[in-house]
Amino acid sequence: MASATATYGQKESSDQNFDYMFKILIIGNSSVGKTSFLFRYADDSFTPAFVSTVGIDFKVKTIYRNDKRIKLQIWDTAGQERYRTITTAYYRGAMGFILMYDITNEDSFNAVQDWSTQIKTYSWDNAQVLLVGNKCDMEDERVVSADRGRQLSEHLGFEFFEASAKDNINVKQTFERLVDIICEKMSESLDAGDPAVTGAKQGPQLTEQPAPPHQDCAC
Amino acid sequence: MDLSYLQVLEREKVLEVLRRDKQLRTVEEDRIRRMKCELQDLRRRGAKNFARQYGERTCARCQRPLGKFWNSGAVCCGCSHRICRRCRVGAENWKCTVCHAYREVKIMSGEWFLEEKAKKFPLAKDKYETVGDMLLKIYSGLSHISVVPPTPPPNKDYQFMGRFGELKNSKSFTKSMEDVMVSFKCQIRESNSHNDVRVDFLQVDNSRNGGFFKSSNQKSLSDTNINKSSILFKVPSLPNLFKKSKDSDMEGSSTGAEDEASISSEHSGGQRSSISSISADCGHFDSVSVTGELELAMVYNSNALCLEVTVGACRNLTHGDGKRKKCNPYVKLYVLPDKSSKLKTSVKRNTTDPIYNEVVKYDIERHLLFGKRLQASVWHSGTLKRRVFLGEVLIPLDGWRYEDKSPQRFHWYPLCPKVRAENTFGKEPELMFGLLKV
Repeated sequence: MASATATYGQKESSDQNFDYMFKILIIGNSSVGKTSFLFRYADDSFTPAFVSTVGIDFKVKTIYRNDKRIKLQIWDTAGQERYRTITTAYYRGAMGFILMYDITNEDSFNAVQDWSTQIKTYSWDNAQVLLVGNKCDMEDERVVSADRGRQLSEHLGFEFFEASAKDNINVKQTFERLVDIICEKMSESLDAGDPAVTGAKQGPQLTEQPAPPHQDCAC
Repeated sequence: MDLSYLQVLEREKVLEVLRRDKQLRTVEEDRIRRMKCELQDLRRRGAKNFARQYGERTCARCQRPLGKFWNSGAVCCGCSHRICRRCRVGAENWKCTVCHAYREVKIMSGEWFLEEKAKKFPLAKDKYETVGDMLLKIYSGLSHISVVPPTPPPNKDYQFMGRFGELKNSKSFTKSMEDVMVSFKCQIRESNSHNDVRVDFLQVDNSRNGGFFKSSNQKSLSDTNINKSSILFKVPSLPNLFKKSKDSDMEGSSTGAEDEASISSEHSGGQRSSISSISADCGHFDSVSVTGELELAMVYNSNALCLEVTVGACRNLTHGDGKRKKCNPYVKLYVLPDKSSKLKTSVKRNTTDPIYNEVVKYDIERHLLFGKRLQASVWHSGTLKRRVFLGEVLIPLDGWRYEDKSPQRFHWYPLCPKVRAENTFGKEPELMFGLLKV
């Protein structure tokens, strides 16, 4: 028995030092700030210059959550229509999505419904989605109210955050909440075929998580 | 899907991302494979060994007998087997060790997600995995044509992908990608220069280098050396020191007996009698307890139709000669149950952390690997041809993926005591030989 568990700890080379890996996809219209959001989260950096993403890209970040080391492979997609065939090919492998719009851009908000349909079409049935209204630091230019965002998210059955990659508002919270709800789905999925387990030490314990601070954008 | 509508540079960029993703997945597959192997190992330990035991009340995991009233065990709600108190995990809703490990593996490997995904996409369950691979395959040739600027080496990649070109960004990008990029620097260089990364032997040396990867055959990275099979033997650090039954003149007389012994252990592996007790009996050998690990890498070469096993190194071995603190270890390999397949490494002198880097080839068709096991045992070669058993590993060869394309990966396997039933040491050729010489 000892040998079976021993090797888990022994090969702690930098690349395999985690408990499990989640794949997350960020989608939304072009220039809503998907790449900036990811850079803020993964590198804690921000550059106002706009560089359109070519096709797809990803970053890896390992976080410690619910007593587990979780490696996140976060895919950043191009919002432009011309890359759509590449980006949709990656929906299928994603456990969770961040669907992003820009609160200063009405079109990007109106497109949320379409993006949601894309997820339903190309992803697994239990795909977890967080709706994020980015650029909430630009209050002066806001055209989409937080209420409209919240209503739409309730209508679509997603959770909702307003965030700012520039001012680092709700970025970490968004990812962590998404990780938590993927964990919940994981436990459900495992326990569905397994009537016995409700607690024990297996699944991440999510009940103690406080309710996510919706809408606490400080702007 | 194709990328033909993209401009050349765009395509290069996408392919570069796909390559990075492939590296990541290779590591992940490797991790998952190892976990599943361990689970399989755990399962095997619970297997009933003798037909007569089926009637008895024993714990399905540890095989200890269960009483009628006292210590009678209880039924695991996962597998419905009767389990003794010791083999349970958790308190109220306990599970047996195997059910628990099974669940853990499902979580850690992400298999739960694959199952969920398969509900919606039952046919092309792994399409996602192959989209990138497919594109890489299609464009791998194109992307290396010199019309296209060659993919920059990793250091420049950081800046390239850091998209703002600032040193600050590229630096933090490196930080975020540390697990992929740093450890696979060598491999990325490799995959950029040609598609086949299999020849890139990376070696993990946790004990000395604190977990850094080092490339053990940098020399072979030139494009002229693409021929895989030749590389295996040209590389200075991986000399093929194996010669089949090189020393059969020494052991030939006893090989038959050994075969018999080990085959019998195949069928009655339940009874654990460590070699040390046998050694003590005949008085020629020090008792040794098994410690340490053995590093192996395996790959199936479908061109040459052979299984290639690379013996990397051992570490923390017990001293074969405890009194004099001596240890001259070598590794002996079989593809069980075929006992004619014996191959050995060279003997390393006076070390408990020998480094071999030797390649063994077994000519065997891939489908015949099903049901076979690789037995790698470590022995101390003492004076007067005394052999002391230092531990072994058994690795199932089915359910294992030995892609030609993936880089050969080394794993550390903890050494285990011998699982043998024989008591007559006449069956143990190493011992018998020692006796004859004395």
